[in-house]
Amino acid sequence: MTDREEKISELIKNELNNVDFFIAYGRGYDPIHVKPLFVYEEKDLDDLVMNIFCVHNNASYLKTVKDKKVGIVVKGCDSRAVVQLIQEGLINRDNLRIIGIPCTGVISIKKLKEKMDISRVTEAKVESDSVIIKTSDEEKRFEKDDLLADKCLWCQYPTPVIYDHLVGETIEPSRPKELEYKIVEEMEKEDLNVRFEYWNKELSRCIRCYACRNVCPMCVCQDQCVMESRNPHWISLKSNITEKVMIQLIHAIHLAGRCVSCGECERVCPMDIPIFKIKQKMNQIVEELFDYKAGIDLEATPPLYTFQVEEAKIKEREW
Amino acid sequence: MRIGVFICHCGSNIAGTVDVKKVAEEAKRFPHVVYSTDYMYTCSEPGQLEIQEAIKKEKLDGVVVASCSPRMHENTFRRTVEKAGLNRYMFEMANIREHVSWVGVDKEANTKKAIDLVRMAVAKVTLNQPLFPKSFKVNKNVLVIGGGVAGMQAALDCADGGLKVILVEKNPSIGGKMAKLDKTFPTIDCSICILGPKMVDVGQHENIKLYTYSEIEEISGYVGNYEVKIRKKATYVDWTKCTGCGLCMEKCPSKKAFDPFNEGIAPTTAINIPFPQAIPKKAKIDPNYCRQFIKGKCGVCAKICPVQAIDYEMQDEIVTEKVGAIIVATGYSLFDHTKIKEYGAGKYLDVITSIQYERLLNASGPTSGHILRPSDNKEPKTIVFVACVGSRDKSLGVPYCSNFCCMYIAKQAILTKDHIPDSQSYVFYMDIRAPGKGYEEFVRRAQEEYGVKYIRGRVSRIFKRGDKMVVRGSDTLLGTQVELEADLVVLATGAIAEEGARELAEKLRISYDPYGFYIESHPKLRPVETNTAGVFLAGACQGPKDIPASVGQGSAAASKVLSLFSKDLLESDPQIAHVNEMLCVDCKKCIQTCPYGAIEEKKTPMGKIVASVIETVCQGCGLCTATCPPGAIQLQQFTDNQLLAEVKAFFHA
Repeated sequence: MTDREEKISELIKNELNNVDFFIAYGRGYDPIHVKPLFVYEEKDLDDLVMNIFCVHNNASYLKTVKDKKVGIVVKGCDSRAVVQLIQEGLINRDNLRIIGIPCTGVISIKKLKEKMDISRVTEAKVESDSVIIKTSDEEKRFEKDDLLADKCLWCQYPTPVIYDHLVGETIEPSRPKELEYKIVEEMEKEDLNVRFEYWNKELSRCIRCYACRNVCPMCVCQDQCVMESRNPHWISLKSNITEKVMIQLIHAIHLAGRCVSCGECERVCPMDIPIFKIKQKMNQIVEELFDYKAGIDLEATPPLYTFQVEEAKIKEREW
Repeated sequence: MRIGVFICHCGSNIAGTVDVKKVAEEAKRFPHVVYSTDYMYTCSEPGQLEIQEAIKKEKLDGVVVASCSPRMHENTFRRTVEKAGLNRYMFEMANIREHVSWVGVDKEANTKKAIDLVRMAVAKVTLNQPLFPKSFKVNKNVLVIGGGVAGMQAALDCADGGLKVILVEKNPSIGGKMAKLDKTFPTIDCSICILGPKMVDVGQHENIKLYTYSEIEEISGYVGNYEVKIRKKATYVDWTKCTGCGLCMEKCPSKKAFDPFNEGIAPTTAINIPFPQAIPKKAKIDPNYCRQFIKGKCGVCAKICPVQAIDYEMQDEIVTEKVGAIIVATGYSLFDHTKIKEYGAGKYLDVITSIQYERLLNASGPTSGHILRPSDNKEPKTIVFVACVGSRDKSLGVPYCSNFCCMYIAKQAILTKDHIPDSQSYVFYMDIRAPGKGYEEFVRRAQEEYGVKYIRGRVSRIFKRGDKMVVRGSDTLLGTQVELEADLVVLATGAIAEEGARELAEKLRISYDPYGFYIESHPKLRPVETNTAGVFLAGACQGPKDIPASVGQGSAAASKVLSLFSKDLLESDPQIAHVNEMLCVDCKKCIQTCPYGAIEEKKTPMGKIVASVIETVCQGCGLCTATCPPGAIQLQQFTDNQLLAEVKAFFHA
C-alpha cells in the first residue's frame, strides 16, 4: 500500500461507524484494471487501491442508495456529480461522507489498448511523467499525457469541489481550458454532410446495450427510462439508425445543464462510439447560454430547473 | 373506434383555395373513419345538427372538424358533440383556414396540406380519452388594479352589483391621469368636476376596500380563488389618524420636492397631499426630500400634526387578500421626450409636454390656471403644439397611434385662446384623427372659430433664439420649410405602456404586445377578457384610448365579472398534467420547473414518493411534461403519445 492508500484506509476505518458502507476503489483482475470497492467492514479494505487506473465515477452509485448513509472516495471530476445530485435534491448531503482525492489524471484503457497488447499485464507503475506497463514478454514506457483520458487533458477541477476529508495537497488547475470543447469545434469545421455520415457510421454500431445510460451518474430514471418505455412510446425496438440516434439525443437532452463531463458514457461503450462528443456539445451550449457548468456550486440552481419568462441570452422574440 | 370527419367550406374562405370535397373523400380512407362529409358552414345551426345526427346514426365515438382556428369555435363544437352524448374531449379540430387557405394560394398544395392536417387530427382523436371537469367554489371578491377612471368605473359597477371590491392604486390618491386634466374634449367639461364625485363614491362605497399607495407584490391561484399579496408602501403618516387638514404642508420647511401630480412644473413640500380633491385625502412623506430622512433632524410635521399621525419609522406592509377575479386597469404612461435630441431633449424650460400644459391650464395647478411659461413666468403669445411626439414613429419604437392626442391638442389650443385672447396657436400635425362622436366638429371649431393654424408636417428641430423658441419644420401641403418663433412649445407626447406593465403581466400570467400593452382574448369579440381565466382588462393598459372608451371598458369588465360570479361553482379545465405513479422516479424536476407551484410530492400507499399535481392550481402549460425524463407526467389531451401519433400520421402518410 502506498502512503496515500494507507491514509484513505485509515480515514475510511474511522468513518465506517458513521455510514452504512463506503464506496472506494479496489484491486481488479490485473494491475491496470481497477474495480469499485464496497467497504462494509475493515477487512474489505485489504483490496483498496488509489492510482492512475481508478477510472470509475463512483458517484454513479449514489442515485440508487438515496436513503442510505454512504461514504465515497471521489476524484475532482467525480465530485461534480456529487454536487449536482445534491443541487437537484436527489441525495442528501447529510447522508454523505466524502473523501476527496486531488488527481492529475487517469489512464484511458482504450488509448493504451491501441498502443500495446494488454491481455497479459503483469505490472504497471508511474514514474514522474511516464507510465511503465510490463507484460510477460515486454516492457513499455509511455508519456503519461499520451495515455490520459481526454477529459483529463483539459481538467479544470483536479481537486474535488466537495469533500469532508482531502487526502493530499490541493492541486491548482494547470490544463488548458481552451481544449475543453476542442473535440466539438473540430467536428463543426466539417461539412454538414460529412458530419451526418460520421454519425451514421458511428451510431450504426450501437447495440442498444444502454451501458452509457446505466453508468451515467445523472441518469436517475433507471428502469423507467423513456428509451425502453412503451408508454410514452418515443422509441421502438427497431434496430435502425433513427432509433439509435434518438437514444443519444434523448440522453443528451435529459442531461442538458446536468452533465458533469465525467465521460463515463463513452468509456463504457463496448462499441467505442464517441458519444461524449454529443454531451460536450450540449455542455458547450449550456455554458454559452446560461454561464453554467453543472456540479460546481451547491447553491446554484441548474438552468433547466427553474422557470424564467425571459432568458438573458435566448432572444425568443427576435427569432 | 368510429370517427366522423366534417370539413367546413367556411363559405369561400376555405373552399376557395382548398378542394374540400377531396379532403372529405380522402378522410374516408383514414383508420377508424366511418363517416366523412363537407358542409358550407359547419359552425352554423344546420352544420352542428349534421354532426349531432351523424354521431347518433353512425354511432360515432370521436369527431374531427376541419375548419378554422380552435380559438373561437373549439368550445362551440365541444358543446355540439356533448349535446349528442359524446364526451366533449372526444373531439379534435384541424385548422385548415388560418393554417391553410388563408396563407396559401396553390389549391393543390393547400388540399394536400389540409388532408395531412385532418389525418393528424384523426390520429390524435383515436388516442383521446374522455375527461371530466371538477367543480370548485368561487370567491366572489374582485380585485381592481389601478384607480384611474377605468378602474374606478369597474370598481363602482362591481360594488353596486353587490361584490366586494379591493381597489389597489400605486399613487397616493385615486383619479389617475383624468384627475390631472383641466377640461375634457369635446364638451370642455371640467375634468375634476365630473371625476371628483365618482372618486368620492369610490372612497365612500361600503363594498370597496381601497389600498392607495400600494402595489401588487404577488398573485397566486386561479380563477375563483386568487390570493394576492399587496405591498402597502410606507407613507410615514398614520392614515387612520390623518385628517387631511394640511397643516403639515404649510409648515414643512422642505419646499423643493418633486411633484408628480403637477408633472414637475412646480415643486411641492416633502410632506404633501397630492391635490385638494385627493381620495383618500391623506398626507404622505417623500423621504427623498424630507429633512428628517436626509439630515436626520427636523421633525416639524411631527410637532405640528394635531393628531400625532407622523411616524418616521413606518415600514412597508404586506397584506393578503383573496379574490375570485381580477380587473386590470393600470393605464398608460407618457413617452419621454428627452429621448428626442432635436427637440431639445428636455433642456429647454419652455418646451413642455401636453400633460404639463394641462397643469398650467388648470385652476388648481401651480399657476392657478394662468398660462405662464416656465422660464420667466410671462404670458406666452405664440404657442406651437407638436403632434405625434413618440407616436407613429418607427424609429423611436412607437409605430402605433396614441389615439387621443389629436383631440387634446385641439382642446388645449381652444383653451389657450380662451385664456389669452390675443394669442396665436399653431399645430404641427401628421394627420388629424377625430373619429369620435362630435370630435371632427370640435377640431373644425378650433380651426374656424378659434383661428388655430394647423400646419401639416413634422418638426425637424426646436432651438432657442433669444427668449424665443424656434420651431423649424415642413409644411407638406405647401411643400415648403417653415420656421416659427414661439414663446412656448407644447409636445403632444404619445401614450406608452405603464412602467412595470410587463412585470405585472407576468405576475398575472397575461400576455402583452411588443410595446407592453396587454393583449385581449379576441380583438373583436372578447375585448376585455384575457387568455387567463378570471383576469379582465379595462382602459388604456390594453392600448391607448380616451376617457369614454376607458369608462366603457371599465363597465364591460365589471359586467364580465358579475356574470362570472353569477354561478356559485366553477368548472376546472381537465386538460391538466397527470402523473403516472408507476413511472415517476421522484427526480423533482417538475416540482422545480412548474411556474405555478402546482406540483408536490406525495407518498403512495405502497410507500413510494411520487410527484402529484394539485388539480385546481395546474394551468396545463405543459412545462413539466417537457421536463420529465421518463415521461411520467403527461398533459391530458396533449400526451406524448397523442402528439407522437400526429407526427407519425404526418410522416408515414
